[in-house]
Amino acid sequence: MDAATVQKIVREIEKFVPATESEHVGRVVSVGDGVVAIDGLSKAVMGEIVHFEENKGKKLADAMKDGGAIQGLILNLEEDGVMAAVLGDTARVQEGMTVKSTGKILEVASGDELLGRVVNALGEPIDGKGPFKKPTMMPVERQASGVIDRQSVSVPLQTGIKAIDAMIPIGRGQRELIIGDRGTGKTTVAIDTILNQKNEPKERRPICIYVAIGQKESKTARITQQLREAGALEYSIIVDAPASAPAALQFLAPFAGVAIGEYFMDAGRDVLIVYDDLSKQAVAYRQLSLLLRRPPGREAYPGDIFYLHSRLLERSARLSEEKGGGSITALPIIETQEGDVSGYIPTNVISITDGQMFLITDLFNKGIRPAIDVGISVSRVGSAAQTKAMKAVAGGIKLELAQFRELEAFMQFASDLDKETADRIESGRRMVEVLKQKNGAPIPLEKQVAAIYAANQKFFLAVPVGKVTAVEQLFVDFLDAQHKKTLDEIKKSAQLSDESKKDLNKAMEEFRLAHPEHFASK
Amino acid sequence: MENEYAHALAEMIEKGMSPAKAVGELHKTLLAHGREALLPRIGRAFARIAARKRLKSELRLTVATEGDARQAEREAKATLTDLDVDSADLETVVDGSLIGGWRLEGRERLVDASYKKYLLDIYHRATGAV
Repeated sequence: MDAATVQKIVREIEKFVPATESEHVGRVVSVGDGVVAIDGLSKAVMGEIVHFEENKGKKLADAMKDGGAIQGLILNLEEDGVMAAVLGDTARVQEGMTVKSTGKILEVASGDELLGRVVNALGEPIDGKGPFKKPTMMPVERQASGVIDRQSVSVPLQTGIKAIDAMIPIGRGQRELIIGDRGTGKTTVAIDTILNQKNEPKERRPICIYVAIGQKESKTARITQQLREAGALEYSIIVDAPASAPAALQFLAPFAGVAIGEYFMDAGRDVLIVYDDLSKQAVAYRQLSLLLRRPPGREAYPGDIFYLHSRLLERSARLSEEKGGGSITALPIIETQEGDVSGYIPTNVISITDGQMFLITDLFNKGIRPAIDVGISVSRVGSAAQTKAMKAVAGGIKLELAQFRELEAFMQFASDLDKETADRIESGRRMVEVLKQKNGAPIPLEKQVAAIYAANQKFFLAVPVGKVTAVEQLFVDFLDAQHKKTLDEIKKSAQLSDESKKDLNKAMEEFRLAHPEHFASK
Repeated sequence: MENEYAHALAEMIEKGMSPAKAVGELHKTLLAHGREALLPRIGRAFARIAARKRLKSELRLTVATEGDARQAEREAKATLTDLDVDSADLETVVDGSLIGGWRLEGRERLVDASYKKYLLDIYHRATGAV
């Protein structure tokens, strides 16, 4: 023990007043798989935190060596006792152990000092950067904001992904589901969205919370590193409940994430939260429910699995101006099996959210990335939040792509096509190319608008399909270098004025003259 | 199934039926339903229920040394009055790890006035551990 600790202990002894308060206790009767049955605690309430007393019978020196208190979360109230999930190492809980009621429900630390940090599902730092100094404690379970406290979604949340910002726009306070099979780029879409927030001015930039549920530690470490390298960690918080964490922590992690987010929302700030992924949370909750002997329902999920997700996602909101005008935008992720979106959990979450983007394996394998199937993806409230500039250029893209997909199927059979059909196919092919995007490279709104405007003006029609992405990139770089004013104007006004259109047309002409080699064939 | 029968047996006895008669009645019921084979399991379940009930009603005063018992009883008097317990019903146990003071536990209540608890509280506050 160092001298400073000894000094502190002496000071504590000097001001110490012994208290002999009576505590409400129970006794562990059985332990197994992260769940304990406790006798007694007849006054305990649902969701209450209990402490397991490890020190009974131990010598003082041994008791001092123990780590932090083992906590439990009461999940079942029964006739003779209660059942609780252990929030930590179950091996430390033994039969006969005394369990103390705390009278408190679970809270997690939140506040500005969490920015740039990695925490576990209990809000404790796990990145080795030390404890939080003065965090604000937020309840993990909280009633979602009511109707009066909310306002409709009207402010855009730019993802930096052309296909999304143009066709499936997301607004602040919206819940947009990202759904698809494994390996289709769901996490990439979410992370790119976080990275793109760097393009937002600091005062409007949302706090980003990435909740990793049942993920490999290596994946979370990679994401943390990616965010750090891109300078995005400074406005982000990572809540990590890895696959190796007990089911109780995996089930709690999204609630901890949203509780952290609510601190910022209550302070009038915008928050973006990614739940990666809720399928794994549902599996963890199923495990916990079966161990708690709750009756299994469809696919052995408990009866309240819908409520689990609805009460979580309902906490995403855009608050009224009277309440500070803060918001929480949620991007829940659901993993499907073999593209089956009619599964129990996918349909539940689809029905709860305000839209969904489907990522398709076939598109991914064809090299169309992000592999979003725009035909079946939808944003129910986001269009109200789309900027005028994007609305002006993105209006017809969805229809054009739908027509292209239909004609594309015919194209394989028809040997000669009329000119109009052939043009539509050529234009569609190029639009698909324009909407392709590398991962980790979100594009600011003004550049997206310029690229899509150019595509609408058939600027890329004379460019070979295979070169469209490269030419588009060159064109955007050209605009950045030669027509920065126009881009700045679009960014500032979020509108595409006639003046800007004229400038863009002029820029396209200049680019065509400067790079005729790209426009050689048609 | 055996738990339900064991609970019923315990309830019959608690309501004043003699144990022999209660077991006899249970046996008759089991025979009538063709469930006689359950009897040994019901016996074990009953023992578990009885043990749990005993633990629930038990009140234990733990002291660091035998010599501390009297003073501990005096100090714990207020809690004992709250619980409507005569100090004669107390089971006194010696646990040297308490260092000093006493600890009263039972009937869903715990009053820990041991030196070990005080010292641990001080240590945790000083080191910032929970």
